[in-house]
Amino acid sequence: MKWLRENLWRHVVGIFMVLFAIFPLYLVVISSINPSGSLQVTSFIPRELSWKNYQMLFNDPTIPYLTWMKNSLVISVTVAFLSVVISASSAFAFSRLKFKGKKSGIQLLLLIQMFPAILALSAVYVIMERVAVFAPHFGLGTQPGLLLVYLGGAMGVNIWLLKGFVDSIPAELDEAAKIDGASAMQTYWLIFVPLAAPVLAVVSLLSFIGTFNEFILARLFLVDMGSRTIAVGLQGFIGGQYSQNWGPFAAGSLIASVPIVAIFLSLQKYIISGLTAGSVKG
Amino acid sequence: MVAFFRGKLAFTLKVILLSIISALLILLALSAFGQKQYVIGIFIILVVFGANFTYLTKVSIPLKFFYPGLIFLLGFVVAPIVFTLTMSTYNYKTGNYIGKTEAITQIQKLAIEPDASGSTFDIIVGKYNGSESAILASDTVKKQYFIATYKERFDLNAADLKLNQYQVATQAPNFTALADSELAGADKLLSTSRFFYTSEYFVALEGFDVGALYRQKLNFLSERDAFQNISTGAIYEDNGKGNYANLDLPTEILEPGWRAPIWFENYSKLFLDPKVREPLIRVFIWTIVFAVSSVLTSFAFGLLLALALNKPIRGRRIYRSILILPYAMPSVMSILIWGGMFNTEFGAINQLLGTNIAWFQSVTFARVAVIVVNLWLGFPYFYLVSSGALQAIPSELNEAAAIDGATPRQIFSKITLPLLLRILSPLLIASFAFNFNNFNLIYLLTGGGPKSTLDGDIAGATDILISYTYQIAFGSFTQDLGLASAISVVIFLLVASISLYGIRKSKVLESFV
Repeated sequence: MKWLRENLWRHVVGIFMVLFAIFPLYLVVISSINPSGSLQVTSFIPRELSWKNYQMLFNDPTIPYLTWMKNSLVISVTVAFLSVVISASSAFAFSRLKFKGKKSGIQLLLLIQMFPAILALSAVYVIMERVAVFAPHFGLGTQPGLLLVYLGGAMGVNIWLLKGFVDSIPAELDEAAKIDGASAMQTYWLIFVPLAAPVLAVVSLLSFIGTFNEFILARLFLVDMGSRTIAVGLQGFIGGQYSQNWGPFAAGSLIASVPIVAIFLSLQKYIISGLTAGSVKG
Repeated sequence: MVAFFRGKLAFTLKVILLSIISALLILLALSAFGQKQYVIGIFIILVVFGANFTYLTKVSIPLKFFYPGLIFLLGFVVAPIVFTLTMSTYNYKTGNYIGKTEAITQIQKLAIEPDASGSTFDIIVGKYNGSESAILASDTVKKQYFIATYKERFDLNAADLKLNQYQVATQAPNFTALADSELAGADKLLSTSRFFYTSEYFVALEGFDVGALYRQKLNFLSERDAFQNISTGAIYEDNGKGNYANLDLPTEILEPGWRAPIWFENYSKLFLDPKVREPLIRVFIWTIVFAVSSVLTSFAFGLLLALALNKPIRGRRIYRSILILPYAMPSVMSILIWGGMFNTEFGAINQLLGTNIAWFQSVTFARVAVIVVNLWLGFPYFYLVSSGALQAIPSELNEAAAIDGATPRQIFSKITLPLLLRILSPLLIASFAFNFNNFNLIYLLTGGGPKSTLDGDIAGATDILISYTYQIAFGSFTQDLGLASAISVVIFLLVASISLYGIRKSKVLESFV
């Protein structure tokens, strides 16, 4: 009885919220194996298992799903790698070097970061429209152009994450190196980078997730069917035609989500410690 | 390794790399200058100079570390922000999108009118004297024939010509017709060509074999920077807002206009123009309601869960790993999935509830749906942070209170909750700021709807400020970049002050510096 009084409500709350959390995901799974491919759920327990929706995804020439997936992966991997290369050295400088204007530099960075990226969207649009005039490969409507814009935004976001992690790496080693006569560049490459490698990997994975999830810039930039990312592609595919394309969409979003969920769960520890530092996932 | 960083080899490599990058960027800058994109060109040149200066001298060691990030930040974050500020002081929208000289050319091109009787000619396009572009025109009713170049007209006698059965001239002396293959290539040129008729009228082609008589309706008076209507004599002057407007009737303007500085008019419109102000206030109120209720519901449910699972009960790990899933899913996918679930006819929600609600057609239901979905997306976050915070509260406090005879409810409301709020308030504020700009949710779930666009109102019932701004800039019939930029700046000021308040409270900044 005592157990019931103390723990029953905990399980009631837990089960209720688990059902709420899992319901949409469960629905996607059963829709993706539902042979009729329609949005209508005839039964919440699947009676028949079929791979038709998955086959359609990979074989139907009107849905370049694999191309979208490839685009997303290429863009996200590139951004994940380059943004960390760019921001790691800045985080190192902010964390370990002494220079004039450090404090105001960080404050300025914070202020700049508060300008929500979406608000500058029209400006980015006009600027890239002009870049497209003289450099058609880097302007509006191209993946390299989108990459450049992502990298610009990465600096602000990553520096906050990185600096927090970097500060936790003991400074004794690089101080010792300094005493032995190493220059700042040497300290960075020979001491700091090897030490920070796991942290850099985590931050680049987070940046991968963030880029994979990004929708609005990608949507504005990538107009061609073949250049779209998975988020933009699936949105265009389902947009307004829920009843028709539901089955393949469910299969597609499931496949696209699996790697992200896997990375997220394996990084849980870091993400949660980052959460309390005040960053909110987008 | 150490030797490598000191050696001549490393220095040589550095110089080579720097030279290659510099050369490529200078080429890029030159092509920018070639296309008259001077600002971007100058920016690229400065980047090159800065890079060489930074990496070849020892002026500033930290700058060597900052430089690449700094350039990206300047080019793709700071520049757009500055540009947004600039645009917000301009009349920059559909109809005022181009530069002034271009606008003048456009107005001249568009401002033509047909002659009173609407004369048309049968036309053959060709060359006069073998080189000059010309037309051979026939008016079969008046039996009038002539060859017209851009500068001159030569009247012809029917006797000198070869006519077909419809009395249309097909051949004339000194005139060679263009072959069909040549016509296709000249298409664009011909459609804008004006062939001389009189000093007032000209022949413009309407297709390859028909032409009509037009005259310029408006004359540009360059010394006055104004247009004059030839028939009415009305003068259109630069109204200082990016259009030529009729002196006697200022509302009558010539299209297209150009982007022109109007200083604070976009801002004052936000407060003074009822057409802008009223939807804006409506959207603003809903933005606040949406952000506050999203934060409160997510926090309440997350906290309840954290409290429930704060004890090592059986199955806690399973609960936890499932509860984190909504947070781990890519949010774009989840939102689209929810969109399907709220479908009226086939959606799972209506089926589950046994109802037939048109969720996204009704203001109330659409708003409820938006908040429910955001609750689903947001509660795991608050569950995670509340669990962390609960563990950070020393258990001695609760025990001491229990010894003093406090009931569990009292302990919660007097000790746990106030402490939690204190720990979590910066996160609550950050979450508010995030939801204030939660564009993806609104755009992907409801598209801002339901909305009635009948009176040209583009604000929907679930539109929040940022999705409304997007509509103004990109979505609607008239895309008003100036007004959208002004709203962006206002939102920035709001969000920045909220966030600064939150940061000051959390003292995050101090620990970082």
